[in-house]
Amino acid sequence: MNIEHGTFVEKYDLLGCIQCGRCTGGCPVTVRTDLNVRLFVYETVDDDRLEALSEKHEIWDCTTCNNCALRCPKGLDPFEVLLGLRSMQVEEGNIEPTAISALESVFNNGNPWGKPRALRCNWMEDIEGVEKVRILEKGEKADVLIHTCCTACYDPRIIPLARNLVRVMEKAGVDYGFIGEEETDCGSEVRRLGEEGLFEMLDEDNTELFDAYDSGRIVCLSPHCYNTFKNECENIKTPVLHYTELVAEIIREGKLELTGEIDSKVVYHDPCYLGKKNKVFDEPRYILGRIPGIELMEFNQSREISLCCEGGGGKMWVESESKEQRLSETRILDAKEMGADIVAVACPFCLLTLEDALKAKGFDEEMRVADILELLGESI
Amino acid sequence: MHDIFVLAEHREGELREVTLEILTLAGQLAEQSGGKVTAVLLGSGIDEYAGKCASFADRVLVVDDPMYKDYNSAAYQQALVELIKAEKPHLVLIGNTGQGVDLAPSLAVELDVPYTSDVVSVTLEGDKPVATRQYYGGKIDGRIEFKDADVYVLAIREASTPAGEGGKSGEIQKIDNPVTTEVTVRKFLEYVEAAIGEVDITQSTMLVSVGRGIRDEKNMPIMEELAEAMGADLSASRAVVDAGWLPTDRQVGISGKTVSPKLYLAVGISGAFQHVTGIKGADVVVAINKDPDAPIFQYADYGIVDDLLKVVPALTEKIKEMKG
Amino acid sequence: MNVVVCVKQVPDTSDPDVEVHIDSSGKGVDESKFSFVINDADNYAVEEAILLKEKHEGEVTVVNIGPEAANQVVRMALAKGGDQAIRLDDERFAFSDITATARLLASAIGDLEFDIVMTGCIASDDGYSAVGVTLAQMLDLPHAAMVKSVEVIGDNKLKVGRELEGGLLEMLEIETPCVLTIQTGINEPRYASFKGIRAASKKEIKVMDLEATGLSEDQVGEAGSTAVMVEYSVPVVGELAEILEGDAAETSVKLSGILKEKGLV
Ligand SMILES: Cc1cc2nc3c(=O)[nH]c(=O)nc-3n(C[C@H](O)[C@H](O)[C@H](O)COP(=O)(O)OP(=O)(O)OC[C@H]3O[C@@H](n4cnc5c(N)ncnc54)[C@H](O)[C@@H]3O)c2cc1C
Repeated sequence: MNIEHGTFVEKYDLLGCIQCGRCTGGCPVTVRTDLNVRLFVYETVDDDRLEALSEKHEIWDCTTCNNCALRCPKGLDPFEVLLGLRSMQVEEGNIEPTAISALESVFNNGNPWGKPRALRCNWMEDIEGVEKVRILEKGEKADVLIHTCCTACYDPRIIPLARNLVRVMEKAGVDYGFIGEEETDCGSEVRRLGEEGLFEMLDEDNTELFDAYDSGRIVCLSPHCYNTFKNECENIKTPVLHYTELVAEIIREGKLELTGEIDSKVVYHDPCYLGKKNKVFDEPRYILGRIPGIELMEFNQSREISLCCEGGGGKMWVESESKEQRLSETRILDAKEMGADIVAVACPFCLLTLEDALKAKGFDEEMRVADILELLGESI
Repeated sequence: MHDIFVLAEHREGELREVTLEILTLAGQLAEQSGGKVTAVLLGSGIDEYAGKCASFADRVLVVDDPMYKDYNSAAYQQALVELIKAEKPHLVLIGNTGQGVDLAPSLAVELDVPYTSDVVSVTLEGDKPVATRQYYGGKIDGRIEFKDADVYVLAIREASTPAGEGGKSGEIQKIDNPVTTEVTVRKFLEYVEAAIGEVDITQSTMLVSVGRGIRDEKNMPIMEELAEAMGADLSASRAVVDAGWLPTDRQVGISGKTVSPKLYLAVGISGAFQHVTGIKGADVVVAINKDPDAPIFQYADYGIVDDLLKVVPALTEKIKEMKG
Repeated sequence: MNVVVCVKQVPDTSDPDVEVHIDSSGKGVDESKFSFVINDADNYAVEEAILLKEKHEGEVTVVNIGPEAANQVVRMALAKGGDQAIRLDDERFAFSDITATARLLASAIGDLEFDIVMTGCIASDDGYSAVGVTLAQMLDLPHAAMVKSVEVIGDNKLKVGRELEGGLLEMLEIETPCVLTIQTGINEPRYASFKGIRAASKKEIKVMDLEATGLSEDQVGEAGSTAVMVEYSVPVVGELAEILEGDAAETSVKLSGILKEKGLV
């Protein structure tokens, strides 16, 4: 592959790096893998080495949790260098078969799960207390346009999140609507798997799609979609919110009453793409605090220094070779030690990874992992 | 003429079961049409197979020549063309097998007669065969009708008709090799077994898959025994791979392998979305799980709701018994 | 070494939740909700063709029968390393059976200069496993089906392995030019990136209609077919798993019986 001379240096501002090592020092996956992001930033300055560097397996260990970017005193995004290297491999056609399936499915079906587009709205059937989920016509007006997230459309474990979000919207009398079958992948994982071309296509498609509706705000169920639409699709002009921001707002306005008690000790796990990346720390905690019966606790590692669950950054499809304890297991052990009954999250990926870790540790009798939407569902 | 030719299939010193299945099917059709069933046996030193075929056929046509010791479609095709031209059977049935799909289509072209493949059932309507075959991975059946011809060639799916008891005593007729010139365009070399220890589960036809329900590494031997008895390979959910009880390359699912076996036997696997995405290509899925509400039952064709520690050893015994 | 590789675009109906509905003609299915992909085995054939080209030089020609929408899979093959392409497209090609399909391919391939023609060993929609071998006979060439390994061993000689039941490989020598039908798993197909596919739209795709093939109307489509699919029907199958009742002794007898009946043990 031909990388134009100096492209990397310029694109990632590599000469701005002072090699202080704060990035690698704070990188959570170093306890499991050999990834050294500082070294990559150093070595990619040399164009002649790019090819060889892109072939190193460690570039796939990064979860893109944003820790390195937060810690960088020069304001760089070191992990983006790894995505650049990944994209070189993608252009060569040289990626894991699992990632190939996911990317081809996004191209063919608009979701990475190999599921047909025609089934995208099957989750909407028979929701308790909801006559019919509102799907908007093109051009139709709604205060809130909800983007469901592919995982919430198809994964039976995550579908209840979308269903609960609808219940909350209905209960609070929000003027909401969905796109329907035409809704498509946000491109977050596509970009993180290094497929820049496909991401550009999705960016255009989504921008055009959102433009076709007269909505005041776009609300995302997943922090990953949220981050992409808010920060990476430059032409989306409508304000983008995460559902926790909207729900906190409607609770504050007194539109949603939470009456059902959940008598439990709850510890909240900050999803990287909501917290570290977008600084939404307070709204989820505010919502949890308003659910009767909940005693809210804090991890030692919370907010900006929250521990990544390893679900993002394309890691759904590219397994690390490491046999060391998964970070999600570390997180669950911490929660267990604190005596938490529930680990609350606000992200489909965190829910999957942490719940899996909980089962692996055999704590599924005494503890559970739940998305805030599930707790809301129990409380309204 | 209503006679039916069935091509006998053998490999490495064994007559393949599919031969008896198709002879049984041919017997049923011949009963209806009043024709005779001829087993065509090409090989070398094959008296034993001829005897076996005879109990399922009215006649066994044997060409015993070193040329046919091992399968070679080019040689087989030449012989069959000569025999069919000479005998003019109405139907030619061949297994839709690794050998059959390598032979039947080109044979039909050379004879210039109708052909279809992977037939799951055949009936006769008047004089003509009508075939049923599957489309879209078995989601739809299709009815195949043929243009008028003297001979029809059909490749029949394995295990679509169970082999009967036999009981006929067909005449065994040895004839001279109709092919007199050596076949050079294609030459058989050898059979090679898949290397042991090097299991690629994406290629496995039978998989016994282990989940967290196995609970302890010390229970793994019962799974190994079941797999061995069934002639299956072992695969696993991520939970089992994470625990280190099977190597990473045995993981099925979104971050593991996508598999397409004929049988996927999921034992102690809950059926998480990330797992079942990997088994879309499986023909038959069977689940053993003690939880009747486990999602895996929504993907399975057959289920057993019970403790795997009880079911697995019992099943292993039964399968061993059956295989003798 | 010049290789011709035949690729088919098929609907992806592998997901258990995807339902296939028969249309009002009874001879087709409602395709409006399908997503279309390259046939799985053909994807491996493309990769094998490109691997051979990379090793022994030469050109790869991609051949497809399909509508304009099938350009998607053709471009994908071109993006991976195909050099040029032919797409056979005419309404009169519809409802072609094995024979008519192979005849069409032969009309396009017959005049090309090649050492090997590759097809996938089976198409996931019709499950025929027959077009490649039929094509070989029409071109009067030797063939090998279900090929799991290919090695060039002489000027006009290949050593190939055919996959048989139970994973057994039948090794054979075959003269070129020849036709090979490629089995899945023979290689690891590479990824065609979005940018790569875009760039490949600059490569030529020659479109051939009936007149261009030189065939007559009664040689193609249903008229040119000898084994015609006349009617689809929906097989009767249960939605949910059939749960086998009884204690372990009973259920294991039942299950082993079912497996035997299905030819799985
Ligand atoms: C990023 C990511 C990627 C993933 N990728 C994959 C992947 O590629 N492949 C994969 O498999 N998973 C993957 N997972 C994990 C997946 O979400 C599930 O957690 C996992 O598949 C569960 O494995 P399991 O079914 O073996 O265990 P569990 O879900 O714990 O199920 C165990 C089952 O065993 C049953 N059981 C228990 N005891 C017995 C008994 N005595 N007899 C009979 N049944 C019993 C239980 O009823 C239960 O249904 C991934 C998860 C994430 C977050």
